[in-house]
Amino acid sequence: MNNRALGRLLGWMLGAAAILIVGLHGAQAQPPQLPADLHWQTNDSDPIFADPAAQRGGRFRSFMQSFPPTLRLVGPDANSGFVSYLRQNNLALVNMHPDTLNPIPELATHWAFDPDGKTVYFKLDPEARWSDGVPVTADDYLFTLEFMRSKYIVAPWYNNYYTEIITGVVKYDDHTIAVREASAKPPNELLFDVAISPTPRHFHKLDEHWVEDYNWRIEPNTGPYAIDSIRKGKYVEFKRKADWWGNDKKYFRYRFNPDYIRIKVIRDLNIAYNYFSKGELDSFPLVMPRLWYQKAQGSPYEHGYIGKIKFYNDVPQPVLGMFLNEDDPILADRNVRYALAHAMNFDKVLTTVLRGDYERKQTQNEGYGDYTNRTIRARPFDLQKADEYLNKAGWTRRGPDGIRVKDGQRLSLRISYSSDDHTPRLVVLKEEARKAGIELNLQLLDATAAYKQVMEKKHQIAWMGWQGGGIAPTYWEFYHSVNAHKPQTNNITNTDNKAMDEKIIAYRDATDKATRVRLAHELEQMVFDDGAYIPSYKIPYTREGFWRWLKMPPQHATRSSDLVFDPMGATGGLFWIDEEEKSRVQKARITGESFEPINIVDERWRVRP
Amino acid sequence: MIMFGLRVNPVTRRRWSRFRSLRRGYWSALLLGALIALSLVAELLINNRALIVHYQDHWYFPTYADVMPGTTFGQDYAYETDYKALRRQFAAEGGGNWVLMPPIPYSPFETDLRADQFPPLPPSLEGRHLLGTDTTGRDILARLVYGFRTAIGFSLLLLVLEYGIGVGIGCLMGFWGGGFDLGFQRIIEVWSNIPTLYVIMIVASIVPPGFWTLLLIMAAFGWTSMTWYMRTATYKEKARDYVMAARAIGAGGGRIVLRHILPNTVSTVVTFIPFSIAAGIAALSALDYLGFGLPPPTPSWGELLKQGTDNLESLWIVSSVVVAMTLVLTLVTFIGEAIREAFDPKVQIHYE
Repeated sequence: MNNRALGRLLGWMLGAAAILIVGLHGAQAQPPQLPADLHWQTNDSDPIFADPAAQRGGRFRSFMQSFPPTLRLVGPDANSGFVSYLRQNNLALVNMHPDTLNPIPELATHWAFDPDGKTVYFKLDPEARWSDGVPVTADDYLFTLEFMRSKYIVAPWYNNYYTEIITGVVKYDDHTIAVREASAKPPNELLFDVAISPTPRHFHKLDEHWVEDYNWRIEPNTGPYAIDSIRKGKYVEFKRKADWWGNDKKYFRYRFNPDYIRIKVIRDLNIAYNYFSKGELDSFPLVMPRLWYQKAQGSPYEHGYIGKIKFYNDVPQPVLGMFLNEDDPILADRNVRYALAHAMNFDKVLTTVLRGDYERKQTQNEGYGDYTNRTIRARPFDLQKADEYLNKAGWTRRGPDGIRVKDGQRLSLRISYSSDDHTPRLVVLKEEARKAGIELNLQLLDATAAYKQVMEKKHQIAWMGWQGGGIAPTYWEFYHSVNAHKPQTNNITNTDNKAMDEKIIAYRDATDKATRVRLAHELEQMVFDDGAYIPSYKIPYTREGFWRWLKMPPQHATRSSDLVFDPMGATGGLFWIDEEEKSRVQKARITGESFEPINIVDERWRVRP
Repeated sequence: MIMFGLRVNPVTRRRWSRFRSLRRGYWSALLLGALIALSLVAELLINNRALIVHYQDHWYFPTYADVMPGTTFGQDYAYETDYKALRRQFAAEGGGNWVLMPPIPYSPFETDLRADQFPPLPPSLEGRHLLGTDTTGRDILARLVYGFRTAIGFSLLLLVLEYGIGVGIGCLMGFWGGGFDLGFQRIIEVWSNIPTLYVIMIVASIVPPGFWTLLLIMAAFGWTSMTWYMRTATYKEKARDYVMAARAIGAGGGRIVLRHILPNTVSTVVTFIPFSIAAGIAALSALDYLGFGLPPPTPSWGELLKQGTDNLESLWIVSSVVVAMTLVLTLVTFIGEAIREAFDPKVQIHYE
């Protein structure tokens, strides 16, 4: 959970450095005229994923490990973990159906594609309202562009994104707009890219004081929940909007059921777990084996007061693993990189300290449907092969401590990481790598220092992850040579390969899906051949503990759910609180009465290798 | 009287015999000394390297030697020999080959992971994990002992550095007095207000500290308290008649400080030593606990304590480190009390 949040945070921050500079086509001067022959599309035929039996009401209690430094969505310090609650209530024009992955209406009811492959037209839902009752109109989308481009928000990433990628918003009337992107893309990718969120024009006053003035102001939003009360340093409470405009929309019905969502600050994970086991929190993420096997045991589980669910999902997997810096003199040799991959005993890590719970990741991009190259298999632990490659690279002799030496230099590599929870995993890898004559020095840094080191490309091996996402994998920011050998870009392996550059550009420019899929497969193979990324593991599921009074739809969650008991967001809001059950359970806790224990394993969306 | 080959004066002799008569402190000192001595040869007691290997009529002593690859003993791998497996193999084969392992056949870095059990493993005699294993499957006893060696070594070195600087500067402040004294007082007042822990945290967030950097940082901020005692003691001694007498017969400043004043002020210093050692151990453990100490996987008490409090279900982790820490700190405190009493001037001086 933490790792994911961090990955997402890093992803956002790093994205800033990875934006292509494209020629800017500003808004045209002629009066906007909607093209006549547009083919309007919508989607009201996909199945709903909520449960009509859901009951509204109650208070859902969750936690966060630190209090947010601001309530702004953008600007300094806005990238804390808390911001996702705000973003989830800041709806977009369209969203993705979490099971079918088709587009579904959100703030727009219909959309149409322009033949240029860069522009999408939207018909806005006239019923959409801000929290304060003001209707959402085309002007709020125009304002998004103005707002995100403003230097007053002190958000360079957004400034850049809404200038270089989202190049224009055109208003045709109050409820019809077009959004344009810089380069042509296949329709589905384009649609989700340009599905921006509106910004309430009537709320913001953009000037040099905006950052301070709006730090603690509650911005009107379009989603089901709005912040109701705050105690600084203690909690933030959201309240369900009783007359929310989306209540009866097909894909919003029966969702977002609790009346209140209270997010309490609990700074220590172990203490938070104690709160949960005492019934002070309703659900708790148990992905880490330590929590699932050691903590989540005993009487409340045996009595059936607390249930456990393991839910397999099918989403783009975060890119976890080791990133080798090719600018390092030792790692510049491809043979050393291959040898290192063969010296990493991930199987042992997976079957022992991770208790066989995680799965070996095979290649960088997994979970992207057709785009995933399923033929690639990660290099296995094989001392014979490691030995061959190291001999080929000239590391033939072993020193008195069993570590290989070449020209007086020891084969000693530094691995930088930032989570103490990962130390046991790395300790096992270190001990096993010694067998190949490689010394790994563990360098545990705090998150900011690790991020800084990697961004300045001063690492040798970075143990980290990138949050996956989108429809298709991206390669340009990670492997194109324009991003190599310089700080603050995502090419942290400093990969510099002309053949790969050409293919990356071809992939970016291709607009039909078949070509893109073929190029993605070829690129993935090149990433493998380069050997600068050593895949570690993936977690194709979420595991949570929950009190018996939380009820779920029969299908529990969706294909895209990161979290089963997610109160908000595109995949969330499916569960509800059964107040009668709650009082029964509370009574039973006093009398000692038992229920049937709950142990759910849902493999409906499990991807078998 | 000659003690430890040194000529000692009667006062010291009296102090020593008084210290010996304080049974609790004396036995604590012996016990702690024994523990330190044992930890210095920990490789012979707790190690995954064999003590002796007898293979094809050759004798091998791997403990303090270079890594012996498996090929040395007819194995098919080039990495360090797995002596536990070798021992089982030799025992099964019979013949003249044999391996003698230390009583605890695990190193503090070795992960003992089994396919059917997940770490941490509870204490067991059978698996030779007398105190169980930690969350990575490493032997807790091994990590405790090697961690103790690191902690006590760190603490003693820290003591030498801090006292070296503190006593030197304090003594000079007292002896020279005047502007030097005034100037240094102000410097020390400012310096001692810098919070050491934050400095270490800041440094640790930029470069991960090693043993020596940590030692130097802590010494750089820890020497100040000693100066006040030394300054006062030196002022007092300087005014005594014997110093005047030494000066009268033409002794130089250096000689007076080193031969006359220092030996007479040393009792002040000695009484602080045990408490400084305890403080050093506690400080290092605290830093390790917070994650700003020695880099992983260095065996350390603070790191074990952190694991223990994070995994309270595995009670053997936290209990072994807490017991060990309490034991050592209690011993040190007992010694400290005894030294303080032995050096108490009220017992030594008779007013007439």
